[in-house]
Amino acid sequence: MTISKLLVANRGEIAARVLRTANAHGLATAVLRHASEQEGPAHLIAHEVVTIDGPTPVAAYLDIPQIVEAAKRIGADAVHPGYGFLSENAGFVAALEKAGVTFVGPTSEVIDLMGDKVRARAFVEERGFPVAPSAIEDDDPASFVERARAVGYPLLIKPSAGGGGKGMRVVREDSTLETEIETARREGERYFGDGRLFVERYIERPRHIEVQVMGDGQGNVVHFWERECSIQRRFQKIIEETPSPALTPEQRDKICETAAGIARAVKYRGAGTVEFIYAQDGAFYFLEMNTRLQVEHPVTEMVTGFDLVAEQLRVAAGDGLSAVQADIPQNGNSIELRICAEDATADFRPAIGDILLLDEPQGEGVRVDSGILDGGKVTTDFDPMLSKLIVHGRDRAQAIARARQAVQNYVVLGVTTNTGYLDAILAHPDFASGDISTGFLTEQSETLTAPGEDVSDLLMAAAALSDERLVSEVMQIPEMHRKMGGWRN
Amino acid sequence: MRRIESQIDTNAADYKANFAAMSERLKEFHARQHAARFERPQRDIDRLARQNKLGVRERLKLLLDPGTPFLEFSTLAACREYDGTVPGAAVVTGIGIVQGREVAIHANDASVKGGAWYPHTVKKIVRLLDVALENRLPVIHICDSAGGFLPLQHGVFPDRYLGGRVFRNQVKLSQANIPQIAVVGGHCTAGGAYVPTLSDYNIIIEGTGAIFLGGPPLVKAATGEEVGVQELGGAVMHTSVSGTGDYRAATEQHAFSLAREIVGQWKRTPKTIIETAAYEEPYYDPKELYGIIPKDRKTQFDMREVLARIVDGSRFHEYQPNYGTTMVCGFAHIWGYKVGILANNGVLFNDSSLKAAHFMQLCNQNRTPLVFFQNITGYMVGREYEERGIAKDGAKMLMAQGGSVVPKFTVIANASYGAGNYGMCGRAWDARTLFMWPQAEIGVMGADQAANTMADVKIRQLQREGKELTEEEIAAIREPVLEKYKRDVEAYTSTSELWDDGILDPADTRNALGMSISASLNAPIDDPHYGIFRL
Amino acid sequence: MRRIFQIDGEETETWLAHDGACFILNTPDGAIPCQLEAAGAKGGHVLRANGKVRELRLAAGPDATFVHMNGRVHEIRRIDPAERLAGGDSGSSDDRVTAPMPGVVVSIAVKPGDQVNEGQPLLVIESMKLETTLTAPRDGVVAELPFAEGDSFGLKDILAQLVPEEE
Repeated sequence: MTISKLLVANRGEIAARVLRTANAHGLATAVLRHASEQEGPAHLIAHEVVTIDGPTPVAAYLDIPQIVEAAKRIGADAVHPGYGFLSENAGFVAALEKAGVTFVGPTSEVIDLMGDKVRARAFVEERGFPVAPSAIEDDDPASFVERARAVGYPLLIKPSAGGGGKGMRVVREDSTLETEIETARREGERYFGDGRLFVERYIERPRHIEVQVMGDGQGNVVHFWERECSIQRRFQKIIEETPSPALTPEQRDKICETAAGIARAVKYRGAGTVEFIYAQDGAFYFLEMNTRLQVEHPVTEMVTGFDLVAEQLRVAAGDGLSAVQADIPQNGNSIELRICAEDATADFRPAIGDILLLDEPQGEGVRVDSGILDGGKVTTDFDPMLSKLIVHGRDRAQAIARARQAVQNYVVLGVTTNTGYLDAILAHPDFASGDISTGFLTEQSETLTAPGEDVSDLLMAAAALSDERLVSEVMQIPEMHRKMGGWRN
Repeated sequence: MRRIESQIDTNAADYKANFAAMSERLKEFHARQHAARFERPQRDIDRLARQNKLGVRERLKLLLDPGTPFLEFSTLAACREYDGTVPGAAVVTGIGIVQGREVAIHANDASVKGGAWYPHTVKKIVRLLDVALENRLPVIHICDSAGGFLPLQHGVFPDRYLGGRVFRNQVKLSQANIPQIAVVGGHCTAGGAYVPTLSDYNIIIEGTGAIFLGGPPLVKAATGEEVGVQELGGAVMHTSVSGTGDYRAATEQHAFSLAREIVGQWKRTPKTIIETAAYEEPYYDPKELYGIIPKDRKTQFDMREVLARIVDGSRFHEYQPNYGTTMVCGFAHIWGYKVGILANNGVLFNDSSLKAAHFMQLCNQNRTPLVFFQNITGYMVGREYEERGIAKDGAKMLMAQGGSVVPKFTVIANASYGAGNYGMCGRAWDARTLFMWPQAEIGVMGADQAANTMADVKIRQLQREGKELTEEEIAAIREPVLEKYKRDVEAYTSTSELWDDGILDPADTRNALGMSISASLNAPIDDPHYGIFRL
Repeated sequence: MRRIFQIDGEETETWLAHDGACFILNTPDGAIPCQLEAAGAKGGHVLRANGKVRELRLAAGPDATFVHMNGRVHEIRRIDPAERLAGGDSGSSDDRVTAPMPGVVVSIAVKPGDQVNEGQPLLVIESMKLETTLTAPRDGVVAELPFAEGDSFGLKDILAQLVPEEE
């Protein structure tokens, strides 16, 4: 089966990024656009723009019948889902299959399996891959203390009915386990009227490390090395890099092989990512598998030299993998910064506004996957991520230096973005030394959002002098009277 | 134009002595001005605060463009009247800048006797409205007045240039298409009600502003009706029921913001064009004027040294430098505006009078405003001069001066005696502005001559009655006369009586003239025409 | 020539002047001589202020100016004090809605005790063959509606009364 026309069922930077590769490979391309949506780069790159409709723009992008119908109408023989929206929707895959349109991604069965956290965990654990130890009291209340002890220390006791951190207790020594269980049970009863408990291994200052895999659906799987994504705010990544500064070569091989093994176990097809929680002692546990192209895939492309979208299309067309494991290098370091319309000093509140001026950085080792255009408008209709800034350096220090230089020259005026905040993270000594965890942004929030040098005098001067109405009012005063100033006789 | 080469030695003893004497005078002058502007009894300040009103100076600050000059007139008006209890005659007037436009401002000072109109208040307001009419300046009235001061109503109300003239001038302004705004920040009662109602636009501040022909007590006395201030003439009633008020403002800030907005949307009429040059600061420091003006008024000084510290670049093109040398005539620029200057370097003779008349005609011909610097003791007297027709030549000078169509400005720099005051555009001769320096004097003649003349009359009368007077007795007659006359000719008396537009620190003369000239160009300049010259 | 600038939530009252050679921004902390020239790329400027020289990128929106300087973006909100004061243009309002002319009540949209917002229709009247909707003069609570539907009223009759505001 060959693909001749590709519909990208997505928007923003990822649609533009997928379309670029598809165009370069000679495919006819089309992209979706909601009637109320601002024009973006994707609409300029695609050969065809298909207007979709819906009560809200997001609803339109989730409207399976409408999108399948659109794909058929325009004669697309394949659909690339990007990330988000319908990218991990088994129903969408099934509907496309039924319509005879190729889905660029895994099978609906794999999506289903990996989409169910409990089933996925059981599947992985059964096959001998590491999952974080845990014990559920309800499984067998009589043996709960014993099973809890087997989880290992430190461990975390949580009320089964809990939430919001209430009744959670960290236990570091076996001698206190039973009294802590009793305390937690009392708290659970007091807060939730339910004393049942749940125990899991407590991982202090964990890191988030994930591995890019690619399978041909026949059981052949290669990995494209790891990415470290520990820099997260509100459980969402904003800086990703590869290689992870935490891993030794041995650990790297181990974690990457583990990921490839999991993918092989499901005869994975296409691009996927296996996410792990990585403890400071080097232990790592399966978290979940994302059955799609990740936002942060470009850092992998920068160090391996592979175009992952091209690989996806190749697999979807049935042409198999283009490389064997030994052919996939990991050259230098790459960092990705997610440029988001949000106010880092106000709890990352999404920002809206008109883009009055846009000037994205360029230069050696700098790549920008952008979803915005100069003069556009940022609304709350979609995710606040506007674009991604990706840099490559021969080593981590050079990559950080380039990232700082580039983010400082990333000019988006008219809507608040996190560029200054990203730069503050890059400038932090703990980031430079690689001493980070998923709690880094919370721990360092005050340092990272500390006000910089007071330049308000310069800013007010700039604002005043560029205020044409103000300047013209001042210049309306006759010259003599201006020169006399506030003279009084 | 060439720069005046100053001969002043700033290290000379007399320069230093003059400087010290003038500095002393100015210290007193500035202290008096400051007191007249800002020093009020605490109870008056408290009352304004209680009434939730801003002081008049704060109101001006809200009204005027920030960082622009305000040429205030007659700050020391009434300083020698009413035992000095009515500073500034309870009103602030002047020319300021609002939204880039020159406007004349008339603002009641409610911190003085509740802003009541005294005779000198009326004189000061009428003068301001005359300035507005002559120069076609829009007027902003800030109304906050208790009304006419009843014990002195005869000096406020009946005569041609008293109370009614304020409203008459308002009508004339409107007729001449010169806009007016009234901001009502207090009560406008009886006649006062016509200030806002004769204005093209008025703004009433809620709570404090009110307009009525008769206030609540008068209404109760007249008809028995009991009615509150707000219902009778408050902002809400007038802006929604009677239509007497145009805008209601929630606060003083809002009121002056509205006034500024109104000025901002007026049509901008182009000003009269006269010759201008690129502006240049005087080459010589204006503060040196303090050392140039002699501490003894009788000491002669060269007016060119004065001009060198006032005009642009200290440059002066002198006309007829070798003829009629007691009358210095020539062209210069002030703040870039080309002006013709007439300055006294001594008594007016036949030749100096003819020279002045000729020069003024020249300036009228080429639309050059005239600036007079007075230091004049009069026209020369004596048989020889009468035979030469000094009265006829003086008349020519008056005819040329009084018939001038270009704007005129006068600075009484030192002496202003007798008919010299007339020839040199004294108060009666419609100078657009007239300022005095603090040591200057104005009168029919100098104090000594006047005292001697008056004493001699008395002495001769006594002698006719057969009385022989000792030196002591003669002195006893002369001294009180001299003392009184000396006081009467002082600048403070002049300014108290509004014979001038204010006393100036000499170093401020340049700016005051610049503001005055600029304001005058809002009015057109007529084609030159004269009466009959006695040839 | 006054402006209030707001940076990071902090307001500064300023006024701009020009002395013939140079702009001067006057702030409570002092006067800032300043000059701004367009230079280089789109929105590029060179700012000279307080003796400092900075290259910056600048874009002015309707209410805020955005400045990119030394790798940081700053938002400066601009407030014209006149616009802020203009909120008081209509002044404080009456508690009463009075009849602008004699007529008949056609319909009533609220009842005593209702919370109403400024501009909300209270009742419709008919006079001179014209239906007119009368609205609430301010936010408040309806105290009284003296006329019922179909009732006739005279000029200046009170048609609706709001509960007086507490000071």
